[in-house]
Amino acid sequence: MNAKVGDRIVIEGHHLGEPRRECEVLEVHGTDGGPPYVVRWEADGNTAFFFPGTDASVVEYEHHMA
Amino acid sequence: MRSIDAIRRSGVGIGPERTITDAAVTMEQAGVGALAVIDGVRLVGIVTDRDLVRRCIARRMPNDARIDSVMSTPVITVQADADLHDAFGLFRSNAVRRLAVVRGEHFVGMITVDDMLVNLVGDIDDLVRPVTAEILFAHHDAHVPATT
Repeated sequence: MNAKVGDRIVIEGHHLGEPRRECEVLEVHGTDGGPPYVVRWEADGNTAFFFPGTDASVVEYEHHMA
Repeated sequence: MRSIDAIRRSGVGIGPERTITDAAVTMEQAGVGALAVIDGVRLVGIVTDRDLVRRCIARRMPNDARIDSVMSTPVITVQADADLHDAFGLFRSNAVRRLAVVRGEHFVGMITVDDMLVNLVGDIDDLVRPVTAEILFAHHDAHVPATT
């Protein structure tokens, strides 16, 4: 997986009814955009190290012109 | 199969200075039952939801206590490129439900007993499929011509 600061990571639910989770990449600690990442979870800004597995995918951050 | 290829869920970690509350909130937000405790880049411990119940709540520890005061250490690890049979061996010889997968000293993910079961069932399914086909759609050899 490759990500850059500002990208979002989506983690699919593993069980029926388990919600999809999202976090934002704050820091990229690997080489060439590789993991580990420091991420911020949606709800309250809590941060953690993230090591993506096959359940995770990156949604690129899009810059919008004003 | 390599151990790293058997990981099905993303791994999540926090620093050793973080609090018990931080760990519980992170588990809830990330949807995981165990966190790696990482000091810089080095894996120093592991903490599970069960640890939070037994070592924190049951002992009435303050919510702002450091997570490294309740984590399990040393961590039982398997190298990322090690064969999955090595992980089987570690699960067999240690009473754990999770193994930390590492490259050198660097944490890369967590493998669980559930992951092992899913892989095992997949292997059995692959093995059984041709046998099932043979039973359902039996291929009969032609009769050997009678000789006089």
